[in-house]
Amino acid sequence: MVYIQIPKLKRERIVVLTGREAVSISVLSLAVAFIVFSGFLMYEGADPIEAYRNIFSFAFDQKLGLSTTLHRGFFILFATLAFIIPMRAGLWNVGMEGQFYLGTIGAFAVAYTLPTLHPGILIPLMLLAGALFGAFYGALAGFLRGKLNVNEVVTTLMLNNIAFWLVYLLTVGGPWAGIAESTSRPLPASAHAPIILNTPFTSFLVIGIAVILYIFLKYSSIGYQIRVLGNSPAAAKHIGISAPKITVLVMALGGAIAGLSGYHMWAGDPAFFMIPRPEAYKAIADLTYWGLIIGLICLLNSIAAIPLSVFIGSILVGSTVLVRRLRLPFGLDVLFLGIISLTFVAFQFFHYYRIKIKRRE
Amino acid sequence: MWPFIIRSLEVATILLLAAIGELLTQRSGVLNVGIEGLMLLGAASGFLTAMIWGLIPGYLAGLLIGALFGLLHAILSITLRVNQVVSGMGVWLFAMGFVTYWADRYSGPLPPWVTSIRVYGLSPIFFLAIITVVVIWFILSKTHLGLKIRSTGENPFAAEVSGVKVMRIRYICTITGGALAGLAGAFLSLTYLGIWSHLPTKGLGWIAFALVMFSLWRPFILLGGALLFGFVWQFAISPETIYAGIPAPLPILRMLPFIITIILLIIISSERFRRKWWLARPEALGVPYIKE
Amino acid sequence: MKPDAPILEVRGVTKRFPGGVVALDKVDIEIRAGEIHAILGENGAGKTTLMNILFGVLQPDEGEIYIHGKKVRFRSPLDAMNMGIGMVHQLRKLIPAHTVLENIILGHPKTGKILNLKKAREEVESLCKRYGFNLDLDARVWQLSAGEQQVVEIVRALYRGARILILDEPTSVLTPLEIEALLKSMKAMAKEEIATIPFVTHKLPEVFAVSDRVTILRRGKVVKKIETREATIKALAEYMVGREVLFKLDKPQVKIGDEILRVENLSAMSDKGVLALKGVSFSIREGEIFGIAGISGNGQQELAEVIAGLRKPVSGKVIFQGRDITHLSVLERMKIGIGYIPPERLGVGAIGAFSLADNILMSIYFDPEFSTKGFLNYKKIRDYAKKIVSEFEIVAPSIDTKAAHLSGGNLQRLILGRIIPRTSKLLIANSPTVGLDVAATEAVRSRLLACKKEGMGILFISEDLDEVLEVSDKIAPIYEGRFVKILPAEEARKEEVGAMMAGAIPGGS
Repeated sequence: MVYIQIPKLKRERIVVLTGREAVSISVLSLAVAFIVFSGFLMYEGADPIEAYRNIFSFAFDQKLGLSTTLHRGFFILFATLAFIIPMRAGLWNVGMEGQFYLGTIGAFAVAYTLPTLHPGILIPLMLLAGALFGAFYGALAGFLRGKLNVNEVVTTLMLNNIAFWLVYLLTVGGPWAGIAESTSRPLPASAHAPIILNTPFTSFLVIGIAVILYIFLKYSSIGYQIRVLGNSPAAAKHIGISAPKITVLVMALGGAIAGLSGYHMWAGDPAFFMIPRPEAYKAIADLTYWGLIIGLICLLNSIAAIPLSVFIGSILVGSTVLVRRLRLPFGLDVLFLGIISLTFVAFQFFHYYRIKIKRRE
Repeated sequence: MWPFIIRSLEVATILLLAAIGELLTQRSGVLNVGIEGLMLLGAASGFLTAMIWGLIPGYLAGLLIGALFGLLHAILSITLRVNQVVSGMGVWLFAMGFVTYWADRYSGPLPPWVTSIRVYGLSPIFFLAIITVVVIWFILSKTHLGLKIRSTGENPFAAEVSGVKVMRIRYICTITGGALAGLAGAFLSLTYLGIWSHLPTKGLGWIAFALVMFSLWRPFILLGGALLFGFVWQFAISPETIYAGIPAPLPILRMLPFIITIILLIIISSERFRRKWWLARPEALGVPYIKE
Repeated sequence: MKPDAPILEVRGVTKRFPGGVVALDKVDIEIRAGEIHAILGENGAGKTTLMNILFGVLQPDEGEIYIHGKKVRFRSPLDAMNMGIGMVHQLRKLIPAHTVLENIILGHPKTGKILNLKKAREEVESLCKRYGFNLDLDARVWQLSAGEQQVVEIVRALYRGARILILDEPTSVLTPLEIEALLKSMKAMAKEEIATIPFVTHKLPEVFAVSDRVTILRRGKVVKKIETREATIKALAEYMVGREVLFKLDKPQVKIGDEILRVENLSAMSDKGVLALKGVSFSIREGEIFGIAGISGNGQQELAEVIAGLRKPVSGKVIFQGRDITHLSVLERMKIGIGYIPPERLGVGAIGAFSLADNILMSIYFDPEFSTKGFLNYKKIRDYAKKIVSEFEIVAPSIDTKAAHLSGGNLQRLILGRIIPRTSKLLIANSPTVGLDVAATEAVRSRLLACKKEGMGILFISEDLDEVLEVSDKIAPIYEGRFVKILPAEEARKEEVGAMMAGAIPGGS
């Protein structure tokens, strides 16, 4: 008789996950996403290694994709930070899309009304207006959640749709309509973002925000209160933390950051300098959902979100090569988003359990 | 007028199928925030299948892929005990990416030979949706299985000691819910739109999700809500069929369903309704069940 | 069948847990048909493990179980149930939103595919009549008292044909009146050859009054089997604990000082929107422990929360050192020296995913001493946390250990360590010993007495009447949102207070 020892798999509940385990789980889930995506590339008749090489060589080439990579990557970073802050308090802000639209409206409203201002004044004003508009939109959902206990996932999503049509209202045949069909008027030259090191200055702004946010959440008293609320609303209540206040605060902060990205997006890329057609601005706004996935993969660590956002940006930009150079079908980049989110979700399992191999006796 | 009513009943059908499935899922204690994604998958697979094999296989494909991803959500959230919101969001985001890649290259109308069967202009799926609501109502309130489902959603530990197979019940409900959402998606792309365009659900799945919250988890209130929103949605799209001289610019009307959803959410969250709402809410909703 | 033949036999059952803990060590027990057989044991004696094995939740590592002399194996609670074992859990396994009837018929094969509530109702009603249970079958379970819910569990087990009924701490949440009714029903069941097995830790006298035989567990072993009529309470308690039991705690003599808290005519709603607290007035002085005795759900939770600032009163005033604080926030109250120990430890009193230091920070995060310009001074905080950990004897590798890794007693020490040093005047302790073992309970009580010595006023809330009587200077039995009476400790007799808690003696206040 030949005995085959079948190891018995046993799952064991994890009480508290260590930081190192969490990081390795996230890295592993990304790796698996790459492997799965390779399968799709092969199905489309491309050599995965060749494809990845093409993607990254294009995305990081100074002459080709680098500036777009950085621009899109930091745009996603705005959205990620906007997701992270409320999530630390236990709130799902999936309203980055809407807050980005509102930020867009704020920034453009300033630029159209005061086009003759000196850039040194106009640009800060645009950023401020974008942040305020976004903050208002975030705070609206925060208020509904904090004061009236309305589910924030549903409200923020509804607000996204409302904001989409709001932009539509202003651009397509509206007061901001340009000469070209369905787009807005171009921004005045004074509103264009100054470029530093191949990327608009707002990229450095968002890096700064990420660092400040990290310190703020870790070491400030408010940051502590946010973390307590996120871990246990009941405990927060018992030690005198006002959940409604914190809720409005985090949603407003998240909204403000997402709102800033309105300026970054349209004024930071010479390809735009205006609000494009609805399909195009919707496609850009859909990128904000990456913020959700990156935020979760980074375990809500805003510093870790910086490289990952740029990395994702490089895939977005680089995969356009797949369409043009390798003649692969459109939509592979968004497919990759989908795969990452799914593998990440599946790997969440390891946040709660570890698999132990038990030999059968 | 009649065409408008038919169109709004079609929207109601989409909402109803997706929402009644979600209602069943939630009654068993599982939250599936991914129905927008399931609808997208159903819409895409339905559309692509119908292009080759025709309408009925299209519907079936939608049903099937919905059930498949319902199963995936079940495995993730019930067996692997991933946070149910994270899991649902993951399915949704995956669907957005996958469907764009999969179906956008076939953008355009269905081939002319794929036409929907209609009775007085209404699709039989509309009647199927109504029957589904009645059946699910009957199961939930009049049968032992329904009692088991409700118990599982309220307190799985108590249900388990009474001999209820909690895991099995949750799997069944989540898969069924997924299948219905998939069918809703197929109906959307095949009968309501008849054409494929980029991410066609446009927030309908999220409205269906909100409808379940409004309905206090009761099928007949859900039916009313779906009819109302079907009307509002269609009105927002083509107000001129109701009254030719509507002055409002179109985009403002398109905001209407979403604004009404928020207003309704605020109303049910008010002091008067909140208590009722909490009593009606399945107590174990969104909480993974861990034996012992 | 012989009258004395065992209906249930446990032979040599052993259960080991990972980490080498032997929860049960060759346990033998015989239960005869129709007898009331109490199983006594402290927390950690193996009672829960034994219960779980008898109900098919756990499998024994060694040993067998016999029913009617036939060897059986339970793979799940369903198996046990089908063999006629019914279980009445201490943590109720009922569905609060459903009616009593729905709870009883759920999952029973007899129920059929389509519900026939009329037929089921008749059956359940006749069952209730036979054993003297009084139940409103259409009531929702959440509307019932803890005692009534226990009855629902018993009836459910009987409806499913249980011949052996395991009761987990059946008297711990009951009023004396309910206890009497339960004991009567147990006797009625005994007449019908249904054996009942109460598992008991604390309430020895009731066991004594009703049981035929007692088996005593200590550290996983059966240490004594005895006919009840041959035993004394004191002897039982000694077998259980393994040493001579001190039933009295020394109350320090403390000078009672000025009034700290006065509550006037306070009323409040419960979460369900029912008026739960109905016009309560009392005062607490420095160095005084004011004990509230009552079955949970009689308004004591709401009272504690109103005083802590967590709940808004409907009417009435809270006056702290002569100042009206009715509308002060929780934070303000913490700052003026009011501390609240909540009954739930993990998730409310402490956060499992936080380190000990971060948990201790919960009580000082607002203190300017520990922060500069809105940023926390972690060096100071860590020093402070280290001091607390050693002062309150919290056993943990370091202050970076996560609170989730602490045992129940240690966790409560952490919570006390976080709250007590930041509380100067008034401590509200809501069920601080619930679920703790004997040693940890003693530690908590002596902490409270130390606070009393320092001149704090303490509002002490507990379901355990003995404990309230032992610790408090004044005792207020609470029933349906009202104090029945406020008694000085010297005048409080246990029977009388117990009756007041049950609403049997109407009060004057």
